[in-house]
Amino acid sequence: MHYLSINKEEWDKALEQIQLSFTIFAAVENDFGIDYEELNSSNISRIAYNRAKPATPLKTFFLPVKENVTSGQVRNRQRVIMGVPGCDVEGLKLLDEIYLDRDYIDIYYQQHRENTVIISFDCFERQEHCHCTSYGINPWSESADLSVIRVEDMILLRVATEKGNGFANHFSVTREMIDDKTLAVIDEAHKTALSKLSEAVKGLPGFETTGMLLQKAGDEIWARYSSRCVSCGACTTICPTCSCFLLIDKPGFEKIRQMDACQYPGFQRVAGGEDSLFELPRRFRNRYMCKYIWKPGKFSSVACTGCGRCIEACIGKINKNELFMELAK
Amino acid sequence: MNGMMNIYKPVRAKLTEVIEESPLIKTFVLIPETEFSFGTGQFIELSVDGIGEAPFTPSSSPHVTDKLEVTVMKTGYVTEYMHNLKPGAFMGIRGPYGRGYPVENFFGKEVIILGGGCGLAPIRSLLYALEHVKDKLDRVVLCYGSKTPADCVYKPLFNRLNSTEKFEAYRTVDKGDDDWDGPVGVATTLLNKVKVKPGNSVAVVCGPPIMMKFGTMKFLEMGYKDEEIYLSMEKNMSCGLGKCGHCMMGKYFVCKDGPVFTYDEIKDTPDIWK
Repeated sequence: MHYLSINKEEWDKALEQIQLSFTIFAAVENDFGIDYEELNSSNISRIAYNRAKPATPLKTFFLPVKENVTSGQVRNRQRVIMGVPGCDVEGLKLLDEIYLDRDYIDIYYQQHRENTVIISFDCFERQEHCHCTSYGINPWSESADLSVIRVEDMILLRVATEKGNGFANHFSVTREMIDDKTLAVIDEAHKTALSKLSEAVKGLPGFETTGMLLQKAGDEIWARYSSRCVSCGACTTICPTCSCFLLIDKPGFEKIRQMDACQYPGFQRVAGGEDSLFELPRRFRNRYMCKYIWKPGKFSSVACTGCGRCIEACIGKINKNELFMELAK
Repeated sequence: MNGMMNIYKPVRAKLTEVIEESPLIKTFVLIPETEFSFGTGQFIELSVDGIGEAPFTPSSSPHVTDKLEVTVMKTGYVTEYMHNLKPGAFMGIRGPYGRGYPVENFFGKEVIILGGGCGLAPIRSLLYALEHVKDKLDRVVLCYGSKTPADCVYKPLFNRLNSTEKFEAYRTVDKGDDDWDGPVGVATTLLNKVKVKPGNSVAVVCGPPIMMKFGTMKFLEMGYKDEEIYLSMEKNMSCGLGKCGHCMMGKYFVCKDGPVFTYDEIKDTPDIWK
């Protein structure tokens, strides 16, 4: 891993050129907050450097809502996702474990992954429900291909992979950055971000503790918290690690992979009628058991990154962290 | 796509024969267009073109590789379409998936099989596989229960097994009819008549959830250890690949980690009988 630096003005000019030959999605500021937009000369100035996470989870780029997985064509053109928060980079690791499982590789997911350069922004801003640090995740990433930090008029690039290096090479005016002073500034910014986050989530149990608490949770608390759930599936749709899907048949023995959610009634119903998740509290509980106990029992990547999107998205104003804090009391 | 293996693409299989087993159950004889083999207890995803796909464990012998048989009960949307298919039609097959019966673990032992309803389909495949290695087994006992005498599939199977060395087969029904003079009662009651040799015996249970539960309890009561009871779990296996999440049962994907589990492996998992 090494750092490169480039003057902000030169960076913007280079981006103007690069976006002509690459498809770049970047986290930009819009009227509603921050989200990904395809980069063009008019929105380069709105790139939201080192701000909090975009509204859309990263998974959407690799697992589209619907995809023909028998005859669909994946474009071979390389694409770049810029402005990915550290939490989403971590979330992608679980999807990689599932979809790139050596026994059964999903070649569509694999091609999307191979064709994509992931550029993260170190995150120096905390949104209301962010709690990545509670689950051992830093608000910056050292496993994204490339990371971008804006320090005043400088753009600093942390290069972590060959792919990231390849993309950085398109910026002809970068310099190796070995300036201790700038590194100290980055270090300080990380520390500030960490302490801001830890301060805000005081009392929230860690990942493993949450799992243990959930196992002991009685029926009453599930019934109470799920009473405001309308099974809309917003929490699973917006979750960077929820990746369940349905296969839909089309003539010619074609299959469409369509994102699905365990929060929808009938998710586990079998033809005979049995449905172990028929009751709402059971279904509601399932999502947390899956994230904090079952997936960790099977995979090595975390199944909740603490991004807080499920809390923001819930129209019933259900806050999982309130539930966990109550269990921890 | 670059010649890479596509895990979602079914192979076509020609339907050559449809056998009516009971008013609601048919067996489809299929010849896949490409080489296809499976281990007993593994399952396949069988599809009707453009309509849908569902998981089934083949009911034929794993040692017959030029064709396979799948027994299907008409019970929902996809299976209704299947029941309307005529010989000559093409179906789609993906698989085989999951972990089937570890037949080699049964060598030297007696195998007591408890089955109910449509659970006889996977059991028939297992029986064929066990017949194939009967020299290496102590004995095989089948205890099977159906709702009524008419609901029993593969009726000739029972006579055949009873005239096969080392094999015994017993039937019961929940409710008899005028012609029925055999036992009446749930499948587990048949186990009362079977003298087992605990310690050198394994139990296999396959049937509706309620029978799986009481069957397991019964075998435990008879002195079987948790790891000697093999259960074939039924969940909504949709992709068969350990990805789609529909068949998650605790930390297991039933499609990939199962569908055959020992009771020991899943006894601490919630909702296994649901």
